[in-house]
Amino acid sequence: MKKKWLSLVFLSLLMLLLAACTANKDAGKENTTSDDTKKGEKVLYLNNAVEPNSFDPSVAFDAVSWAPLNNLMEGLVRLNDKNVPEPATAEKIDVSEDGLTYTFTLRDNAKWSNGDKVTAGDFVYGWRHMLDPKTASPAAFLAYVIDGAENYNTGKGKPEDIAIKAKDDRTFIVTLNAPTEAFLNIISNPSFFPINEKVAVENPKWFAEADSFVGNGPFNLKTWQHDSKMVFEKNDQYWDKDTVKLDKIEWAMVNDTNTEYQMYQNDELDIATVPSELAQDLKDNPELKNEDQAGIAFYRFNVDKKPFTNEKIRKAFALAVDQQNIVDYVTKQGQKAAHGFVSYGLTNAKGEDFREVAGDLIIFNKSEAKKLLVEGLKEEGWTKLPAVTLTYSTSPDNQKIAVALQSQFKENLGVNIKLKNVESGVFMTEQKELKHQLSRSSFLFDYADPVNAIESFVTDSSMNRTNWSNKEFDQLIADSKKETDNDKRWKLLQDAEKILIDEAPVIPLYFYNQLTLEKPSVSGIVRHPVGYLELKWADKK
Amino acid sequence: MVNYVIKRFFMMIGTVLIIATLTFFLMHAIPGSPLDSDRTTNPTIQANLEKFYKLDQPLSSQYISYLKSIVTFDFGPSIKKPNESVNSLIGRGFPISFELGMVTILVAVISGVVLGTLAALRHNGVIDYLAMTFAVIGISLPNFILATLLIRIFAGELGWFPAATWQSPMHMVLPTLALATGPMAVIARLTRASMLEVLTQDYIKMAKAKGLTPWKIIVRYALRNAMMPVVTIMGTMLAGILTGTFVIEKIFAIPGMGKYFVESINNRDYPVIMGTTVFYSAFLVFMLFLVDIVYGVLDPRIKLHQKEGDPS
Repeated sequence: MKKKWLSLVFLSLLMLLLAACTANKDAGKENTTSDDTKKGEKVLYLNNAVEPNSFDPSVAFDAVSWAPLNNLMEGLVRLNDKNVPEPATAEKIDVSEDGLTYTFTLRDNAKWSNGDKVTAGDFVYGWRHMLDPKTASPAAFLAYVIDGAENYNTGKGKPEDIAIKAKDDRTFIVTLNAPTEAFLNIISNPSFFPINEKVAVENPKWFAEADSFVGNGPFNLKTWQHDSKMVFEKNDQYWDKDTVKLDKIEWAMVNDTNTEYQMYQNDELDIATVPSELAQDLKDNPELKNEDQAGIAFYRFNVDKKPFTNEKIRKAFALAVDQQNIVDYVTKQGQKAAHGFVSYGLTNAKGEDFREVAGDLIIFNKSEAKKLLVEGLKEEGWTKLPAVTLTYSTSPDNQKIAVALQSQFKENLGVNIKLKNVESGVFMTEQKELKHQLSRSSFLFDYADPVNAIESFVTDSSMNRTNWSNKEFDQLIADSKKETDNDKRWKLLQDAEKILIDEAPVIPLYFYNQLTLEKPSVSGIVRHPVGYLELKWADKK
Repeated sequence: MVNYVIKRFFMMIGTVLIIATLTFFLMHAIPGSPLDSDRTTNPTIQANLEKFYKLDQPLSSQYISYLKSIVTFDFGPSIKKPNESVNSLIGRGFPISFELGMVTILVAVISGVVLGTLAALRHNGVIDYLAMTFAVIGISLPNFILATLLIRIFAGELGWFPAATWQSPMHMVLPTLALATGPMAVIARLTRASMLEVLTQDYIKMAKAKGLTPWKIIVRYALRNAMMPVVTIMGTMLAGILTGTFVIEKIFAIPGMGKYFVESINNRDYPVIMGTTVFYSAFLVFMLFLVDIVYGVLDPRIKLHQKEGDPS
């Protein structure tokens, strides 16, 4: 009996061991087959941090999906190195005089990676798929400028009523419900990529594996080991294949910035992000690239919770924040201090930057802050400021900033505030339920137009989350949407931004940036302020 | 024996069910939903999604359909990654975690037992002090610190091993070392302590008196009895290591199962939380069960059927 058990245990251990060993050999083999890089091939080694959530263009709605997808597929337009949308799958774009109807003529040589022609029907199919309520695409709201899109997406209309038409295989016509300056920019988003109808009808999960994936971009998905690795190779069917210089791109999925940095040091990666602990040391590294990213880190007041019911007290808190100090000594990642709400990098046809035109709307001012606090207290008849709690979602970086704000309020206003951190899921729910007094927030642009950020604060917007409401502001946003003259439109938006900053339901902190290390042998990678990693023109020596 | 195994089997099922039930209600008690995102999608889409994942139904019916999913071991699709089922996530991640875990356990057990035995035999000697210093460092140094150091030294500075990812046997060396050091130290200390105790026993003196070779005395009589505490901790240790460790897998970019435990909770990805928890607890309970049986093998004095699963 005893012996039997003993041998059983040993046997099972042996089996486990064997299982481990065989798995091991397989792992080794897989590696050699996918690593068979020919000599002289140009292979770019990148890191995508984590597994893309989806390569279904309608479902992907995050940078980890978009960065690869933008190079596997292509929409009607593609952003060029100056962030301006240029014809891509479309070769000609005609806009009607009222700015409502767009007629796209597709390239004759635009092809899918399986050799099929890219047709206008593929765009109709892809866009309808995105707007289908069953798809539940998080990106669908971007298409609401198209006539009939919102109705269909919210279950009130039919797909045939969306104003997108394939006149013939090469002509795709879109009608908008209002002139939209940013429309071409919006449709550079991967959600507006075409979907090969034949392939998708045959296999609804065509995007889930490398074998079944059919794209129309500069690169092809060769292998995809989920959660671990992707290999792209140059797409021979791409209409502009002569421009594409890289032969291959290998994506690792490393979700630890320190490891990523060590891999970069060890030449296992060509590009890496900068770990925040090392940002200071790497400040003068020639391989460091600092580019704008359209987005802002800021704090929201709840204007229904004391003491922030008082505008002067809000303003006092906002003026007591030294943004430059936070950027220089707390975050230390080379961001730009935010003295307004709309970030840098959004330009008009004349090349003017919205932020530069609008100028600094709020700058740290200790004496003014103190004065406003006293006035505010007097207005409300308070002898003592009601207790203030600042809430942020748990993360080391958020904590550093919260602590810095706490000490700035103490130093500049003489006010002691409490800090509270909560787990991110809880934080978001509480913020939407308006449970916080003062809480951390961020905004990343969906498309390159100032209105995208500013309109968050119209009354009852789900992005408002401050209880702040201003009729004049709402009217300015509404007017801007009807305005066809872009200069006038910008003026309206600038007026709106001024009201927003002046009544201070928010404290702007800093604008986001993209800080990366890039080997000197690499060139031609384009990172847009709003947009997706662009490898079409990338090259490696 | 058979009775005992049957009894334990039902107890195992009961334990897993209790854990699963607790997880289910705790999970629904935390604020936030898997469909929350910073962007608020419009209410129609939100409602569609809730209907699709059956989140609009009352908790009780969600609980019942969830119990069904445990019995059939089919947890449905992940909410965060709609194109993947929980089963395929586990099916993909577990073999990798298991592979790393097995190698780690082997390294830890072999080196731990050897180190502990040597230390006990040379009690208060140089080897003892060296081994125990090493063990104390191993226990005190968290594995993520060790992992970062190893990458820094062996990948960053020396370039001997790849820093991360999971491709060839060479890629396994650093994570195995980082992961094995802690358990190895624990095993070494336990082995040493119980070896010291065992070595003073009468039967060891008897064996010596009979003139048996030292090798035979140690392996056959001393070590076997000294293994009891080690076996005791092996159950939980195995379950913990084999199902993946979040931090090590994250640092070394190993596509194992560890991350699903943590990320699923952050994402409130209910099916994945449930799937991983049930999987882990079933695995843990099974390992404890194995340990109980191994006790009986190592020490015939432990009569399983009398003590009803509480052999210590």
